Amino acid sequence: MKAVGARLPRYDGIGHVTGRTQYVDDVRVPGMLWAKALRSPVHHAGIRVDTSRAERMNGVHAVVTHADVPHNVYGHLEALGIPGDEPLLAEDEVRYKGQPIALVAAQDEDLAAEAVEAIEVEYEERTPLFDVRLAGDPGAEKIHHWGNWYPHFEGEMDRRQIRKGDLDRAFDQADVIVSGVYRPAAIEHCPIEPQTALAVPEPDGRLTIYSVTQALYFSMGVVAAHLQWPLNKLKFVGGTVGGGFGGKVDTAADTPAALLALKSGRPVKWRWTREEELLCSSTRAPWHMEIADAVTKDGWILGRRMLTLHDSGAYARFSPYGVTKHSFHHTGAYTIPNLHFDGYVVFTNRVPTTAMRGFGVTGLSFATELHITRIAKVLGVDPFELRLKNANRIGDTSPNRVPLSDPSTVPTILEIADAFGHELPAEYRAMTRDRREGDLLPEHLVGQLGNPEEWH
Amino acid sequence: MRLIVNGVEREVESAPLTPLLHVLREELGITSPKAGCQQGGCGSCTVLVGGDPRRSCLLPLAACDGAEIMTVEGLGTPARLAPLQAAFHEQYGSQCGFCTPGMLMATHALLERTPSPSRGDIEEALAGHICRCTGYVKIIASIEAAASGDVASDKRTPSLEDADPNEPDMLIPGSPA
Repeated sequence: MKAVGARLPRYDGIGHVTGRTQYVDDVRVPGMLWAKALRSPVHHAGIRVDTSRAERMNGVHAVVTHADVPHNVYGHLEALGIPGDEPLLAEDEVRYKGQPIALVAAQDEDLAAEAVEAIEVEYEERTPLFDVRLAGDPGAEKIHHWGNWYPHFEGEMDRRQIRKGDLDRAFDQADVIVSGVYRPAAIEHCPIEPQTALAVPEPDGRLTIYSVTQALYFSMGVVAAHLQWPLNKLKFVGGTVGGGFGGKVDTAADTPAALLALKSGRPVKWRWTREEELLCSSTRAPWHMEIADAVTKDGWILGRRMLTLHDSGAYARFSPYGVTKHSFHHTGAYTIPNLHFDGYVVFTNRVPTTAMRGFGVTGLSFATELHITRIAKVLGVDPFELRLKNANRIGDTSPNRVPLSDPSTVPTILEIADAFGHELPAEYRAMTRDRREGDLLPEHLVGQLGNPEEWH
Repeated sequence: MRLIVNGVEREVESAPLTPLLHVLREELGITSPKAGCQQGGCGSCTVLVGGDPRRSCLLPLAACDGAEIMTVEGLGTPARLAPLQAAFHEQYGSQCGFCTPGMLMATHALLERTPSPSRGDIEEALAGHICRCTGYVKIIASIEAAASGDVASDKRTPSLEDADPNEPDMLIPGSPA
């Protein structure tokens, strides 16, 4: 335990401050070509693509479309038996603005961009869907072969649901129902290093891929799946990431660079522009969250009904995982004994959304904390006291019934109160993370809160 | 055209309107300036031209003919860090590291002109340098440490005489093999 609490130098610090850390864009090999992508300029359309003019251009070494991808339609959850949904390159339909349709490798970036301009595409525009609240309308445009939300949760359910205790009873017992709607927006990760990949065909038939990935073995699996290659033909070089924040979990540039390298027989680098990074890369998901809480006038939250519409963008990627995590955390740092939660992964014609710092949870925490404050305002009680009362205690169970062994809510809120100089009555000041007995839980509620055994 | 890069005169063949960033990275193989946005917005490509911090992604080669260019490679080597580099390392002023070379060049220019900068001076020098990992707190602490001499490592600014013979690719700082 020599390292715990010690001020150790960063292992990569000397490289960073001398400019010697080698990021993917700093790697260059002889004979390297540059890639550019033709991306959809519209949000939703049927397409027909003709690449013949670009293929004939001098200095263009490879043009790749969906027909060149051995396994084009892929999904991150294929390993779990869930069919893929996202084409690496669009076939006959584009579902978001910026979706890649074709790739070009040429002598330099300018020529690659010119070749992209020379690709002809007919777009038959369709109505885009941007608002998750309209996805279920009878007249809503169907934007995905799965329908407008993900249908493959366990048991082929079309939502992630949590049912705990007896919500009807909680609502019957409540003095007041406090409801609120929370809608945090999409956020772009915006790493200063854009998505970049360099794929190098090796004489032994393998491919070496220099990747900005945050998840190297995962990206290997994705590239191998698209190429239908065994993993032992891929050599990945990674581990140096110029900022990711979750946005480099999805494999973005690796597979296209690999396909172009294989088709041209030359090393190919694909470096996204800042514009591509901002407009076409994945974002944190925007959410529509509705909360209705059954509350007693002295500040006990008896039950929560919650609906989350998670905007997945055009494809599922990791959103089902994000919504699952979201469902586990939907009471925040508090214990609410009776729950009814439904979370949907809704498809829209936005860029696909993905992990970002606290996947599924950060925007949720914004909602749950605002909601606690809203309850305090409605009841006219101190928001610190309300939080302390309902805070997780050792032995409580999370919404998905995991016993909490050491929840830190009570000490955290006491520290925050201290930091703000907020006065608390002695009985609140004396609260601990231990079991709730003696902590002001009114006797008449002990046996009445849904299934009493679930209180702890 | 001719550039003096980290004290070494270099003939370059790139077209006159090529951004200096590309000349440094693609023709000369000096990769510490980064192509973060290539539109003058992020600061990661900052180098010193005649001692002034400039966005090399927006600066055409033709505007630099004969100029003295300094990159992080000219500031110090792993074996002999400049105090500013040592301070960034010791004070955790660098996280993913991608913005660090630009930050170092901008603040090196600041400290050359203003050896005891105020916090306001430091903030102004960092304006337009985007770090997406940290909250700038440790970056500013690093610069303050460098300015006040609160650096544990070698305090002497390296010169060309400090070239490390055990690093053949870096006999002269900033010069590729």
